[in-house]
Amino acid sequence: MASATKPQSTASGVFFEGETARNTRGLLRIIILCTIAATAVASRLFSVIRFESIIHEFDPWFNFRATKYLVQNGFYDFWDWFDDRTWHPLGRVTGGTLYPGLMVTSGAIWHALRAISLPVDIRNICVLLAPGFSGLTAFASYLLTSELSDSPSAGLLAAIFMGIAPGYISRSVAGSYDNEAIAIFLLVFTFYLWIKAVKEGSVMWGAFAALFYGYMVSAWGGYVFITNLLPLHAFVLICMGRFSPRLYVSYTTWYALGTLASMQIPFVGFLPIRSSEHMSALGVFGLLQLVGFTDYIRQQLPSKQFQLLLRTLVLVIFVVAFGLLVLLTVSGTIAPWTGRFYSLWDTGYAKIHIPIIASVSEHQPTAWPAFFFDLNMLIWLFPAGVYMCFRSLKDEQVFVVIYAVLASYFAGVMVRLMLTLTPVVCIAAAMALSQILDTFLVAGEPAEPIEAPSTKTNDAKDKTVPGIPEVLRSTKGPLVGIYSYMSKAMITGAVTCYLLLFVMHCTWVTSNAYSSPSVVLASRLPDGSQHIIDDYREAYYWLRQNTKPDAKVMSWWDYGYQIGGMADRPTLVDNNTWNNTHIATVGKAMSSREEVSYPIMRQHEVDYVLVVFGGLLGYSGDDINKFLWMIRIAEGIWPDEVKERDFFTSRGEYRVDDEAPPAMKNSLMYKMSYYNFDKLFPAGQAQDRVRGSRLPAQGPELSTVEEAFTSENWIVRIYKVKDLDNLGRSHQDAGAFEKGNKKKKAGKRKGARVLRVD
Amino acid sequence: MRISQFFTAALLPFSALAAKKPTGDRFQDSNAAQLANGRPLQLDDKSYDALTKGPRDYSVAVLLTALDARFSCTLCKAFQPEWEMLGKQWSKGDKKAESRLVFGTLDFLDGKQTFQSMALQTAPVLLLFRPTTGPNAYNDPIPARFDFSSGTDKAEPIHTWLSRQLPNVPHPPFVRPLNYLKIGVTITIVLGVITFIAAAWPVFMPIIQNRNLWAALSLIAVLLFTSGHMFNHIRKVPYVAGDGKGGISYFAGGFQNQFGLETQIVAGMYGILAFATISLALKVPRIADPRAQQIAVFVWGGVILGMYSFLLSVFRIKNGGYPFWLPPF
Amino acid sequence: MRLLLPWALLGSAVFSLADPSANAAQDSQKTVDSAAAPPQHFRNINLVRNINLEKSYARETINVVVENIDSKPQSEYYFPFERGQIKRIGGLEAKDKKQPERTGFTAEIAALDQTSATEYYKITFPAALKPNEQITLSITYVSLQSLDPLPAKIEQSDKQYVRHGFSAYAPSAYTTLKQKTKLKLPTTDVPDAVKLAASLNAEGKEDPQRQGTTFTYGPYGELPAGAVEEVSVRYEFTKPLTHSTRLERDIEVSHWGGNIAFEERHWLTNRAAELKNQFSRVIHQQLQYYNPPTSALKELKFPLAVGSMDPYFTDDIGNVSTSRFRSNAREANLELKPRYPLFGKWNYSFRVGWNADLAKYLRGAGGDKFVLKVPFFEGPKQAEGVAYEKVITRVILPEGSTNVEYTTSLPLVDESVTKHYTFMDTAGRTMLELTALNVVDDQRDIQLVISYDYPFAARFRKPISIFAAVAAVFAITAVVRSLDVSIGRKTKSS
Repeated sequence: MASATKPQSTASGVFFEGETARNTRGLLRIIILCTIAATAVASRLFSVIRFESIIHEFDPWFNFRATKYLVQNGFYDFWDWFDDRTWHPLGRVTGGTLYPGLMVTSGAIWHALRAISLPVDIRNICVLLAPGFSGLTAFASYLLTSELSDSPSAGLLAAIFMGIAPGYISRSVAGSYDNEAIAIFLLVFTFYLWIKAVKEGSVMWGAFAALFYGYMVSAWGGYVFITNLLPLHAFVLICMGRFSPRLYVSYTTWYALGTLASMQIPFVGFLPIRSSEHMSALGVFGLLQLVGFTDYIRQQLPSKQFQLLLRTLVLVIFVVAFGLLVLLTVSGTIAPWTGRFYSLWDTGYAKIHIPIIASVSEHQPTAWPAFFFDLNMLIWLFPAGVYMCFRSLKDEQVFVVIYAVLASYFAGVMVRLMLTLTPVVCIAAAMALSQILDTFLVAGEPAEPIEAPSTKTNDAKDKTVPGIPEVLRSTKGPLVGIYSYMSKAMITGAVTCYLLLFVMHCTWVTSNAYSSPSVVLASRLPDGSQHIIDDYREAYYWLRQNTKPDAKVMSWWDYGYQIGGMADRPTLVDNNTWNNTHIATVGKAMSSREEVSYPIMRQHEVDYVLVVFGGLLGYSGDDINKFLWMIRIAEGIWPDEVKERDFFTSRGEYRVDDEAPPAMKNSLMYKMSYYNFDKLFPAGQAQDRVRGSRLPAQGPELSTVEEAFTSENWIVRIYKVKDLDNLGRSHQDAGAFEKGNKKKKAGKRKGARVLRVD
Repeated sequence: MRISQFFTAALLPFSALAAKKPTGDRFQDSNAAQLANGRPLQLDDKSYDALTKGPRDYSVAVLLTALDARFSCTLCKAFQPEWEMLGKQWSKGDKKAESRLVFGTLDFLDGKQTFQSMALQTAPVLLLFRPTTGPNAYNDPIPARFDFSSGTDKAEPIHTWLSRQLPNVPHPPFVRPLNYLKIGVTITIVLGVITFIAAAWPVFMPIIQNRNLWAALSLIAVLLFTSGHMFNHIRKVPYVAGDGKGGISYFAGGFQNQFGLETQIVAGMYGILAFATISLALKVPRIADPRAQQIAVFVWGGVILGMYSFLLSVFRIKNGGYPFWLPPF
Repeated sequence: MRLLLPWALLGSAVFSLADPSANAAQDSQKTVDSAAAPPQHFRNINLVRNINLEKSYARETINVVVENIDSKPQSEYYFPFERGQIKRIGGLEAKDKKQPERTGFTAEIAALDQTSATEYYKITFPAALKPNEQITLSITYVSLQSLDPLPAKIEQSDKQYVRHGFSAYAPSAYTTLKQKTKLKLPTTDVPDAVKLAASLNAEGKEDPQRQGTTFTYGPYGELPAGAVEEVSVRYEFTKPLTHSTRLERDIEVSHWGGNIAFEERHWLTNRAAELKNQFSRVIHQQLQYYNPPTSALKELKFPLAVGSMDPYFTDDIGNVSTSRFRSNAREANLELKPRYPLFGKWNYSFRVGWNADLAKYLRGAGGDKFVLKVPFFEGPKQAEGVAYEKVITRVILPEGSTNVEYTTSLPLVDESVTKHYTFMDTAGRTMLELTALNVVDDQRDIQLVISYDYPFAARFRKPISIFAAVAAVFAITAVVRSLDVSIGRKTKSS
C-alpha cells in the first residue's frame, strides 16, 4: 500500500494536503479494492446460482477427488499416493505426477476452517476456491500495476479489468476447480515481487519472488512461462547495457532459491537442471556471473587493453558455455523439449506426432474473434499501453514489453494460453486508459498540471542510462494540458461509455459462455423455463450404487476423471493422458469388430463399457463425433489393424447411415451407440439428430456385450461385458443359437475367423 | 521430365529384353537395371505387367503417380524425388539383394490402362506386391497399398511402412543426405551479416538503440498476434473467399474460422484505435494552440468512436447473438 | 423413560454399528436376565391370529385368552420366535383387549437359553394374574423382510409374485386349546397356498378356507407348546418391496433463528425381483405411456408438516433436479424421483432436508425450560409401505442447553448425549442420539418429546466470543505493526 501511495500524493495533491490526505486516500483505495474483489467473486457465481454448487467439466473432477483423498488420508499419504483405481491395470503414481499446490491449498483452507469450528464441506471449498483467488488476483494486479506506472488510477483500473475480464473468468468461474484457478494469482504476484526486487535490488523481495515462484511451480505446469520470462527480462536488460547490482542481486537470489524450491515438487524433481525448458534460466544465471565479474574488474582497473582482453574472454566463455549446453542437449543429457511446449514453437509438430495433444480442443490456435470475445476493448487499448511503456523505458517497463510480445504470441498459438495474456493486457490497457483519464480529468487551468508530468520525465531521465535517445516522437515538446472543458467532458464521457459497455460485455460473456458446468446440460422448454438434462450424473450414480465397487469401466479418456469422481469406479484411461499405448488400446477396442474387441476387454478385466451418444437429443459432443480421434490414436500404434481410411466412404465422407462403410458399421462404438435406438422410432424412421442422417432400418446386433443401463435421454449408455459362454461357444454362436439360425451365422463367422488369424 | 522420359525410352527395350530372356530371372535384371540408372525403374503398362505378374519370388514396390503438369498433382511432384532417393538408397543398401525388392514408378502417361484397370481416381498410389512364391511367400495376391491421405511427402514413413510390410528380410537404412550447399550458404550469410554489423557499428548502433524502432516492432508483433495471424499460419486459411454471387466476402462466417484478409483488416482497426488512443493521451496535451487542440480532440475522439462501433458491428457478423453495438454502425 | 437406563451404559458399545447384521447383537444386548425355559404358568384358551400382507411387510395381530394355571399369581407371559426371525421383528406390543386404555404392559426380549433355536419376548402385565383368572391379550408386531419374490428374476414388464412362509399354528410357549390363523392378502391372484390335510383341521374342513382375499387356516384343536406346521402362500404383488437399510435423521434447533431444520439420509434398496435381462430403456419408455403396476420404485412421497419450507433433495454427487414440492395452507408434499427407477436389488441413497418454524414444535415450560415435540422419524409414505432396518435420530439442541430428558413410545436400543461442533461453537451443542430397529412407515407419526434447559445467558456466548477473537486479532496486528524489524539505518516510510 505504502509504495502505491507515494506517487499519489504528488499527482492529485491539488485536492488534499498532507498526512490526512494520504490516510483518506489510503482508506478510499482499500474500500475500492475490496469492492473490486467482491465484484470479481460475484461475477463468477452465475453457475452456482443457475445450477448448484458443483464441480465443472473434466479435470476439476480429478482435482476434487485428489483433494478429498488429501483431506481424508493426510498429507504424507497424499504425497506418495499410488492410485490403483485409474489406468487399470497399470495404476498411476498420482502423488508423484500431479501439481499438488491446488489440493494442498484447499486442504489447508479446510483445516483452517475446521480449527475455528466451521465444518465446511470440502466440495464447497473446492467450488469457491477459484472465485476467491480471483479476488486476490485483482489485488495482485493492482500492486503490480502501481509498480509499473506512476499514475494513481492505473492500478485500480488494472484491478477491475483483471477482476472481470472474460479471458480470466473463463478458467476461474465457481466450480472450475483447476490449477489455473490459483496459478494466475501466483503468476501475477510473482511478477509483482520480481519487479519489486529488480527496482529495489533487495534480497528480501527476491526471496519472496522465489518463494511464490516455488508455490507457482507446485500449482501449475505453466510455471515454465515464468522460468523463461524472468531470465529473458534479465537478458534483455543486460543487452541494453543496463546491468546493475540491483539486477544481479534480485536475479541470483530468485534463481538460486526458486530453483531449489521448485525441485521440492516430486513431479518437477530434477527437471530444472535436466530439461531444455529450464536451460535459459541457467544460462542467464551464468551470464550474469560473467557480466558481474567483468563489471567488478572494470571498476578496479581502468586499463583499456585489459578491458578489451576481458571482454573477449567473457565472450569466449559465453560462447563455450552456450556450445556446451547445445552439446548436452544433443547428447541427451539434457532432455529435449517436451511435446506440449515444443508444439508452441513448431506449430505443426503436434498435429503429426502427438495426436492426443492435437485432439484437445484447448490446444487449438486462436482466431481473432476469441481475442475480442475474451478481452473486448482491452485488446485495442493493449498496444497503446505497450507503446506508453516506451515513453520512459525503465527496467520494469521493459518487462511489460517483453511479456506483452511473448504472451500474445503464445495466446495466438494456443487458445488456452489466453490466460497468460490476460494479465498483461489488463495492465497495459489500464496504463493507457489511466493516462487518458489523468490528462482529461484534471479540473483546473492548464497552467497547474504541468508540474507533475514534467517532474515525471525528469526522474525518468536520470533513471534511464544515457546514450539511448530519450523521447518518443509522440512525446516531443513540452506538456501543456487540456484547455477546454468541452473536450475534457467529451473524452471523459466517451471513456465512461466504453467502460460501461465493457462491463456489460463481460457480464454477458460470463453468463452465456463460461457459466455452464458441462456435467449438467440446461435446455429451454417451449415456455422458456429452464429444463435440466442430468444424464451424466444419472448414469454415473447408477454405476456408483449398483455395480460392485471394483467393477472396471472402459470409456474414452474424456470421461475417465468424471467416472473416477462421480461413479467412483476404476477406469482404464483418463484425462491424465500419460500412456498413449493404453489409450490406443481403448481406441482399438472401440473401433474394432466385436471379435477383436472382446479379447482386449477380457484381458483388461473390463466389466462395463460406457459410451456417450447424443443422437436422440442432438448433443453434438458425443463419442461418434470423437470417434475419428480414437481411430487415429489407435492407428498410431496398430497401423495395420486400424486404418482411418476404412471408416470413410469411397467418396471420403464420414457417415453413419446406410452408406456407412462396413468397418464403421461393425465397430463396437457404432454398435453400442445405436443399439436398440431404431426401436424408439417407427420402422425405418430412426433419425440421428446430431449427424442429421437416417439410420439403417436394421439396427446393429450385439453379442459380446449387453445393455446394462441407458440414461433418460440416451446420452450415456452403459454396457456389461458378457462372461465367457459357459458352453465354451463364442458369443456369436450362442446368440445365433438362441435365434435358431445357426447355419447362416456360422458361414459368416468363418470369414471373420480367417481375417482374425493374420 | 523430358530427361526421365528419355531414360524410360532407353530403358524400355532393355527391361523388356531382360523380361523376355528365358534364362535370366526378372528380379536380377530389373534390380541390375535399377542399380544401373540409380533410380526406381520407369515402368509402362507392359513392363508393369511383366514385372508384377505371378508367380513371383520377389516383391515389387510401384509408385503410381501423375507427374505431368496437366494433372497439377503437387503431392506427386513433391514426393517424386523422395521416392527416387529411397529407391536408390534401398537398392544400394543391400548389394546382395537379399530383400529382393524392386522399386518401380509408373507415370499416368505411360500406364493409362493400368490406372483404368485399377479404377484409380487419385494419385499418387504406392502398391507393394509381396512375393507369391519362395521363402517368405505371402498368401493373398492383393498388393498392399500405402495411404497417402495423411498427406505425407517424406521418405521416412514409406521406409518404415515397407519395412513393416516385408518382415524377415534385411531393411537397408534410409539416411537423408545433408544438403551441404544449403549449410554453406547459411554460414556465409551469417558471417557476412556479422562482419557487416561489425563494420557499420557506428551507423548501426543508433538504429538498434532507436526507441521508436523497437516500439514500432513490438507494436506490429502484438497487433499481428492478437489479430489471429498464428491461426492463419497454422490452419492455412484462404486469404480471401468469394461469396456466392461474384463478389468477395471479407469476413468468414462463424466464430471459429477467418480469412487472411480479414485478420489484416482487424489488425488495421486495432492499430488505428491504438494510435488514436496514443494521440489523445500523449500528443493532444502537447498541442500548444487551444483551437488546434480542440479540433484534434474532436477528430481523435470521433475516430475512436467510429472504429470501435465498426469493430463491434464486424464482431456481430462473426457471432450472431452478440447484443451490443455503438452508433453509428 | 422406562427400561432405557440399563442400556445407556451399553450405548457406546453399539453406537457406531451401521450394518443390519449388528441388530442381532443389539437385540441380545437388550435383555433382562431370567432363569430357565418359560415355566408353564399359563394356558391359551382361545387364540385368533391375523396376518396382514397388504403391505411389503407382514403385520401380525394375535388375540389370545390366557388363563393362569399356576398356583401363584403370575405376571410374565412369554412369546416365542425362531432365533433367525426375531432380529426382523419390530414394534411388538401387548394390550388388554378388553380394556385398551389400560397401560403398563411391557415387552422385551428374554434370552433364556442361547443354544436353543427359540427366543422369547417376555410380556409383563401391569398387575399379576391370579390363579385361574383370565386375560385377553392382544399382541401385535411386524416382521420385516418376510416376503420374498418368487420367481426371483422376472422380465421388466412381468408381474411380480411374492411368497410368505409361516407356521399354520400360531407361535406359543404354552398349550393352546383352540386357534386359527387368518391371512389378509392384497389380491385374489394367488397361484398357490399350501394345503393341509383335513384331518388336522378341528372341523375336518379343507384347509385353508378362502373367501375373496382372506385365507383361514384352522381352527385347530389342542396343541402342545411350540407346535409348528410350516405353510406358505404365494400371491401377486407387483409393487416395490422398499426396504431402508439405514435412516439417519438430524433435527437442529436454533433459538436465534427461530428455525428448526430437519435432514434425513436414506439408504434404500428395492427387495423386489431382479431383472432377468439387463435394464432396457426402450421397454421402460414404451411402458411409460400406459404405466402398469411395476415392481420398480419410481417415486417417493414425503408428506411434510404444513409450513415446512425450502426443502432440498441431494445425493452423493449433488442436487437431484427431479423433485417437486407442493406447499400451501393445507399440505406440504415433497415428491421425489430418484435419478433412475429402482428395479429389483438396486440401491439408492440420498438425503432430503427442510426447514420449519420453531414455534410450531417448541414451547417454553417456564423459566429456562423448553419442551420440543417432533416426529421421531418421517421418511416417505408409500402405499405399499416402507420398512426400516435401523433408524438413528439425532437432535441437536442449542449450544449450552442442559439436563436433557426425552420420552417416546418407540422401543429404542441405544441412546447417547454428546457434543456437536459447528458454526464457530466454542462449547459445542448438546446432541441427543437415539437408535431404533425394525421400524415401519405406519409408525411415522410417533412423537419424540424432549425437554431441556436453555439458560438465557447461553444465547450470548457466541457473539461475545467472536467479538473477543476479532478484538484480539486487531490488538495483535497493532502491536506487530508498531514493531520496527528493519535492519540498517532507519528510512522514512509511510
